[in-house]
Amino acid sequence: MIAGLIFLGLIVLFVLFLVGIYNSLVTLRNRFKNAFSQIDVQLKRRYDLIPNLVETAKAYMKHERETLEAVIQARNQAVSAEGRAAANPADANAMKGLMGAEAALTGAVGRLFALMESYPDLKANQNMAQLTEELTSTENRVAFARQAYNDAVTEYNISREKFPNVIIANSMGFTAAQVFEVETKEERQAPKVQF
Amino acid sequence: MDFFQHQDQARKASRLLLLYFALAIIAIVLSVHFAVSFLLMWVSSDTLEPFDWFQLDRFVVLAGGALLVIASGSLYKIWRLGDGGHTVARLLGGRPIDPNTTDPAERRLLNVVEEMSIAAGLPVPTIYLLDSEEGINAFAAGFTPQDAVLGVTRGTMGILNREELQGVIAHEFSHIFNGDMSLNLRLMGVLHGILVIALIGYFILRSTVRAASSNRKGGAIVVLPVLGLTLVVIGYVGVFFGRVIKSAVSRQREFLADASAVQFTRNPGGVAGALKKIGGLVQGSLVMSPHAEQASHFFFSDGKLGKVRMALAGKSHFDFLSTHPPLADRIRRIDRSWNGVYPKVEPVAFSELEPKPAAGGKRAAELFTALPAQLTALIGTLDQVHLDYAQKLLSGISERIRTAVHDPSAARAVVLALLTSREPEVRQRQLQQLAGADDLLLRETQELAPLLESSPREIRLPLLDLALPALRRLSPAQYQAFMKHVDDFVRADRQIDLFEYTLTHVLKRHLEPSFSRTRPSTVEFYALSALRQECAVLLSAVAHAGHKEPEGAKRAFAQGARELNGLSLSLLPLEQAGLVGVRDSLARLEKLSPKLKKDVMRAFIAASAFDATITVGEGEVLRVIADCLGLPMPPFLPGQKIASPAAP
Repeated sequence: MIAGLIFLGLIVLFVLFLVGIYNSLVTLRNRFKNAFSQIDVQLKRRYDLIPNLVETAKAYMKHERETLEAVIQARNQAVSAEGRAAANPADANAMKGLMGAEAALTGAVGRLFALMESYPDLKANQNMAQLTEELTSTENRVAFARQAYNDAVTEYNISREKFPNVIIANSMGFTAAQVFEVETKEERQAPKVQF
Repeated sequence: MDFFQHQDQARKASRLLLLYFALAIIAIVLSVHFAVSFLLMWVSSDTLEPFDWFQLDRFVVLAGGALLVIASGSLYKIWRLGDGGHTVARLLGGRPIDPNTTDPAERRLLNVVEEMSIAAGLPVPTIYLLDSEEGINAFAAGFTPQDAVLGVTRGTMGILNREELQGVIAHEFSHIFNGDMSLNLRLMGVLHGILVIALIGYFILRSTVRAASSNRKGGAIVVLPVLGLTLVVIGYVGVFFGRVIKSAVSRQREFLADASAVQFTRNPGGVAGALKKIGGLVQGSLVMSPHAEQASHFFFSDGKLGKVRMALAGKSHFDFLSTHPPLADRIRRIDRSWNGVYPKVEPVAFSELEPKPAAGGKRAAELFTALPAQLTALIGTLDQVHLDYAQKLLSGISERIRTAVHDPSAARAVVLALLTSREPEVRQRQLQQLAGADDLLLRETQELAPLLESSPREIRLPLLDLALPALRRLSPAQYQAFMKHVDDFVRADRQIDLFEYTLTHVLKRHLEPSFSRTRPSTVEFYALSALRQECAVLLSAVAHAGHKEPEGAKRAFAQGARELNGLSLSLLPLEQAGLVGVRDSLARLEKLSPKLKKDVMRAFIAASAFDATITVGEGEVLRVIADCLGLPMPPFLPGQKIASPAAP
C-alpha cells in the first residue's frame, strides 16, 4: 500500500518536472519573440524613412537612376522579408531571409551615400541632413534592439541544448532559433570616396 | 477607509481564504472517497458480500492521492507565480505593448495609463495586450503597487472611448491600491491545487475541441476532447469549491473597485459606459484563453457571453458562484438613471475621432492649506486635480524627450542625463567613464542633458516613471551594464546627495523584479518601538535635507517627532543619518505594517512642513521615500501650502 503511494508520488513529481521543463522552454521562446518586436518597430521606421530619402536625392541626382532604384528594390524586399520574420521569429529560415535582405539594403544605402559625396549640394540640403540623421539614429536603435534579441535567443538556445531539456525540446518541436547577425563584410567596407 | 486600512484588510482576507481552502480540501477528499466507494459498491453489488463503506486502506490511498495532487498543484503554482503579474499576463497569452509603438490605439492606451500613473504616483506599469481577445476585459496583477502589471484585451483597446478607458484603468488602479492584486495572486496559487484536475480537463477540452471539429481525419484526435470532458467532470468538485471561495472574497471587492474608480475619475460615465458596452457586445467580456478560469477573479468583468448573460438574466441561483456581481447591479450602483437597455456595440470599432483631453484648460483648483494628515491621506488615491496636473505636465515635455523616454536605448540616456551634474568638472568625469564603454550612449546623454536642464524640475521623477516600461525591455546583460553606468555617475561627484541616492534606489527597486526573482516583502514589524532607530535616522535625514542650518533642522525634526510622540526621538547628526543608514532604515521600514507606515509618513511630511511650503526638492525626497516604503504618493501640486500642525 505504502509502496504504491510512493510510486504514485514519484510519477506525479516526474510529470511535474517534465511540465516544468516544457514551460520554461515556452517562456524563453516567448521572451525572444517579444524581444523581436523591438527590432520590428525600429526596422519599420527605417523602411519608412528610405523612400523619403530617395525622393529627396532624386531631385539632385538626376542621372543616378540605377542606384536609386536599387535602393528602393532592396527596401521592398526587406519589407516583405521582415513581414515573414515578424510573423514567426522562431522560424530560423525566415530570420536568415531577413538578415540577407537587410544586408542587401544596407549595402545599397551605403552605395547611395558614397555617391552622395560627389553631390555637395545634396549634402548641404537641410532635409537630407535631417533624414540622414534620423536614419543613423534608427540604425543605432536597431543595433541595440538586436543585442537584446540576440541575448534572449542565446538564452533560449542554451536552455534548449542542455540535458535533459534537449530530449523534450526535440520531441515537442522546439527548434533552434537564429541570432540576428549583420553581414560584417558589408559593414566593414567603408565607402570609397573618389576625388 | 484609506489606502492603509485597505492594505491591512486585504492581508486579513488572505488568512480567511486559507481557512476556506482547508475546509474545501476536506470536502474534496471526502467526496472523492465517497464517489469512488460508491462506484466500487455499484460494481460489486452482484456479489453477496456486504459492502464495507469505510476501509482504512482504501481511505488512506484515496485521501493520500487527492492530497498529493492538491499539494503539488498548489506548491507548483505558488512557485511559478514568483514572477508576479507577468506570469498571469503571459498565461493568458498577453504580449507587452512596445512603448515605441506607432499603432494609434496602443498609443492612446499608453497615454491614458501614463497620465494616470503620474497622477497616482505609481511607476508606469508594463501593459500586456491580449491580442486575440475581442471581448472587453482588463486585469491588474502583481505583489506590490510598484511591480504591478496591467492587462487589456484588444476589444477594450478598440471599442471603448478615452473616457471609458480611463474608467477601466481607474478600476484596475483601485484594485492595486486596495491590495486586491496580491490577494488575488495568493488565491490563484493556493486554489490551483484544487483546480488542477479540472484545469487539465478544461485546457484539453478548449484546445482540442477546435482542432477536433476542424479535423477531417477524425479518429484518435476525437478522443482528446472526451478525455478533457471526463477530467472536467471529475474535477468539478474542486472547481465548485474554488468558485465558492473566490466569490466569497472577490465580489465585494468588485463593488468597492467600481466605487473607487468613480471617485478617482469624478466621472461615473466612464466606468458605467464601459460596463454598458460589455452588456451590449456579443462577446461581452469573454476571454477565450483556456486559462481564463484560473484568473477569473482578476478580471474587470467575468467572462460570460453577452447573449448568454441576457438569457440567464432571470436566473440568479448560481450567482453565488460568480466572481463578479451581476452586470446590471454594477451599472445601477453607479448610474441610477439607467433604463436597463444595453447599447448596440460593434466589435472593434476604433476611431481616432474623439475629443482630445483638455490639457491645462481647467482652472487649477483652489489649493487649500493642507495639514500633513491630509496630505498623507492622499496616498493611494487618484483624483481629477492630480490628473489635470499630470496631463499638463506631460504635454509640457518636449517631443524629443517624449520619444526618447519610450525607446529602450534612449531611455537609458534620459536617466543618465537626469543624473548628469551641473558642475562642469563632475560632469566631465561622468561623461569620461561613458566614453570608454559606450559612445552612442555618451552622445545621446550629451544631447539630452541640456534639454533636461532647461525643463522644469518637477519633470524629473515623472520622467523616471515614464522611462520604466522601456527600461524593462532591456536584456539582462544590457540592464547590468546600464546599472553600472548609473552607479558610476552617482559616485562621480564624490558626495552623494539624498535625492540622487534615493533616485537610484527607486530605479533599482522598480527594475529589479523584471530581471530577477525578488521575494515580495512581508510585514514583520507591528510596533514602531521596534524601529525607533530607523525612524530617527530617516527623520533626521529629511530634516537635514530641508534645512542646511542646524537650528532649522532641529526644529523641523522636532515637528516631525511630535507626530510619533510615542517614541522619544532625538535628532541625529548628519554623519549618522548618512546614506548607508538611510538605505538600511528604508529596507526595514518597508516591513512595517501599513497602519504604522501611515504615521511614519505623516511624521516625514510634518518635518518638511516646518517652512510652511513643500519645495520641489522636499517633495521629491518625500515621494521617493514613500515609494521605497511601497506607498504610491501623488505628486505635490505646485504652490501647495502646508500648515504646521502645532499652531504658529
